[in-house]
Amino acid sequence: MTPLDLFLQQLINGLSLGSMYALLALGFTIVYGIMELINFSHFNVFMIGSFVAMGVLHAFGIDGQGVFMYGLPLIGTLLVTLVVTMLACGALGIGIERLTLRPLRGVQGPMAMITTIGISYVLSNAVMLTMGANTKNFPNPIPPWTIHIGTAQITVFQLIIWAMSVILMGGLYVFVQRSKLGKAMRATAQDPDAALMMGVEVNRVISTAFFLGSALAGAAGFIFGLYYNFTNFGIGFSAGLRAFTAAVLGGIGNIPGAMLGGILIGLIEAMAGQYVGAKWADVIIFSLLVLVLICRPAGLLGRLAPTKS
Amino acid sequence: MITRRSAAALLAGTALSVAVGFPGLARAADKTIIIGINLPITGSDAAGAKRMLNGALLGISQANDANEVPGYTLKPMILNDATATAGQYDPAQAATNARKMVSTENVLAAIGPEMSGSAKAMTPILSEGDLTIITPSATNPDLTNPQFAAQYIPGGKTVFFRTVTTDAFQGPNMANFYAETLKVKSVYILDDSGAYGVGLADAFQKQCVAKGIKVLGRDRLDPTASDYTSVLTKIKSLSAESLYYGGVAGAGVKVVKESYGIIPNIPKGAGDGMYSPDVTTGAGFPAAEGWYVTNASPHVTDDPKVTNWVNAYTSKFNDSPDDYAITSYDGVLVILAALKKVTAAGETPTRENIRAAIAGSTVPTLQGPVSFDKFGDITQRVVSVFKITHDPKFPLDDANHQFAYVGVAPQS
Repeated sequence: MTPLDLFLQQLINGLSLGSMYALLALGFTIVYGIMELINFSHFNVFMIGSFVAMGVLHAFGIDGQGVFMYGLPLIGTLLVTLVVTMLACGALGIGIERLTLRPLRGVQGPMAMITTIGISYVLSNAVMLTMGANTKNFPNPIPPWTIHIGTAQITVFQLIIWAMSVILMGGLYVFVQRSKLGKAMRATAQDPDAALMMGVEVNRVISTAFFLGSALAGAAGFIFGLYYNFTNFGIGFSAGLRAFTAAVLGGIGNIPGAMLGGILIGLIEAMAGQYVGAKWADVIIFSLLVLVLICRPAGLLGRLAPTKS
Repeated sequence: MITRRSAAALLAGTALSVAVGFPGLARAADKTIIIGINLPITGSDAAGAKRMLNGALLGISQANDANEVPGYTLKPMILNDATATAGQYDPAQAATNARKMVSTENVLAAIGPEMSGSAKAMTPILSEGDLTIITPSATNPDLTNPQFAAQYIPGGKTVFFRTVTTDAFQGPNMANFYAETLKVKSVYILDDSGAYGVGLADAFQKQCVAKGIKVLGRDRLDPTASDYTSVLTKIKSLSAESLYYGGVAGAGVKVVKESYGIIPNIPKGAGDGMYSPDVTTGAGFPAAEGWYVTNASPHVTDDPKVTNWVNAYTSKFNDSPDDYAITSYDGVLVILAALKKVTAAGETPTRENIRAAIAGSTVPTLQGPVSFDKFGDITQRVVSVFKITHDPKFPLDDANHQFAYVGVAPQS
C-alpha cells in the first residue's frame, strides 16, 4: 500500500466509525438541549439496539456468517430490521424517561444524571444475565462486495452505513427545523417556561426527544453489529463515552456539532491507530476534549440554544 | 467447629451406626476437609471455567466414592471470581475469595484460579494464610519468579503450584513454531493490556528476536474498545507475514473477526487464552478458521488411556472435557496424594503438612507424573499447538472438535 492509499483507507475506516459515533452523539445532544441532562443510560440503549437487531435478523433466519441476501430481499430485511430496532429502542427511551426521570423532574442537582447511570448498569447487567456475557456472532446479510481505489478498499456495507447515517441525521435535522413538534422542541430548549405558557406540551416534547435519541442509538447499535459482526453486553460503555465526548466536542445541545464531533473522533481514532499506536487513541481523544473545553468551553460549534436562566 | 450441617451429619451417623451396630462403617461421621475452588464461572470466561470446575468436582466426588482418604470426606467450596461489573474475572473479587478461603478453618487446599490476573491478587493472601492453591491454567511467569517472591509469596513458602507450564515456555515455544514450522519471516504482535496477555506477548516477542523473526511492531489493545480496524489496516500496510495476539477471548474475538476482513491470508496465532469455545462461537467461521492457539499442557483428551475418564466426565456433566479440565482434575489428584501421605503417616491434615507434602511429591496423573520445582512450577514443559478447523458435524462450542491438535511446539 502506498502512503496515500493507506491514508485513504484509514479515512474510510474513520468515517465509518465516526458516522456511528455521530448517530450516538445525537441522542446525548437532543436530550441535553431540552433538559440539560446528560443521559448515561443512552450508552446501553445503544447496546440493546444491537441485541434487538440481532434478534430481528435471527427471526429472518439469518443466524450465521456467510448467509447473504441480494436485491430487494436484502433491502427489505435491512429496512425492517432498522425500523423495528429504532421503534423498540425509542420505546425503551420513552419508558426510561416516564418511569425514572419524570418523577425527578424539578429536583435540583445531579439526581437525574445519577439515576441515568444507575439505569445504564441495570440495562447492561440485565442483558448480561439473560443473554450471557459471551461475545455474540452478529449476522450480516450484506455480501462482501468491495470497491477498490488503488489498494484501498471500501466495502459495500461501509457505503450503506454512511448512507444510513446521512439519511437519519438529515431526517432529524429537517424534523427539528421544520416540523411543528421540532419547533416545540427548539422552543422548549430555549425557554421551557415561556414555551409552556405558549401552549407547548413540555412532557410531549421531552418524550419525543427521548424517543428520537434512543431510536438513533438503536440505529447505531444495528450499524455497529453489521460493521463489526459481533455484539456483547459491554459494547455500550466505550462507544458511548466516545460519542458523549463527540457531543461535547461539537457543542452539546447542537445537532450539527454532534455530527461533526462524531466524525472527528472516528477519524482521530483511525489515524491514531495508524500513525501513533492504538494504545494512544484514548489519550489523544480525551486530551483533545480537555483542550477544546479549555479554549472553547461551548464546543467547536458552540451551543445553539441560549443559556437558560 | 460444629456447624449445623456437620451436627446433622453427626447425629445421622450416630443414629445409623447405633441402628446397624457397626460404628466404624459410618462414613457420615467422617471429618470434613474443604477444598476451595476459585474460578470465573460466570461472565465471558465461563465456558472454560466451567470445565475446570467440573474436572475438580469429578476428582472430589470420585475420591469420596472410593473413600480415598479414610476418615475424611472432601467437600468443595465453590467461589466465583467473575463479577457483573467486570463481565469477566475480577482480581478484586478473587482477593475477597482468597480471604474467605483463608478464614474458613476447614479449607486445607484449593484449586484455581483460571486467570493470572486473579492469581496475582490471591497469592499474597493465601501465602499469609499458608493455604496451598493449585492452578489448572494461570500461566503468567511472574507468579513463580523468585524475583517477585516478596510481592506474591510474602509468607516465604511456596503455596502456589501449577499443573500447567508457564508463558515463559508457552510464548517462546510458539515463537519456535512460527520460525520452524510456519517459517514466517516477520510478525506483528498485539496484546490485550491484561497481566496474562502482556506477559505472554513479551515472552513471544523476545524469542522471535532470538529466532530471527522480524518484529514489525507491537501494539496494545483496549479490551473494552470495539474498533481494531485501524491497527489491523496498519499491519496489512506493513505486509506482515504473521500476527500474534497475547490475550484472552474478550478482545481476542474482536481481533479474529476484524482481522478476517483485513488480513485474511496470513498465519495468526495466540495462547491458551484463545483456546476457548468463545472464539468459535463468538467469532464463528470462516473468521476463526486457521488460527493457531496453544495450550500450556500436553494434549491428553484424545489419549486412549484417558478414555474412561472422558466417558465418566461426559456422562456426569453432559459436556466434553478439554485439556484444562484434566489439569484441574490433576490438581485434585495432587491434593489427594498429599492428604493420603499425611494421613498414612498418622498425622492430622493441616494446611502446613499438606503444603509440605505437595512440594515434595511426584504424583501419577492423567497428564503423566506431575512434580514441582521449588517455586511451584510443574517440571514438564510441554506446550501443545492446535489449529482452529471447522468441523460442521459438531457444535461450534465443542472445543475438542473445532480445535484440531497439531503437535507439541518445539522447545528451546
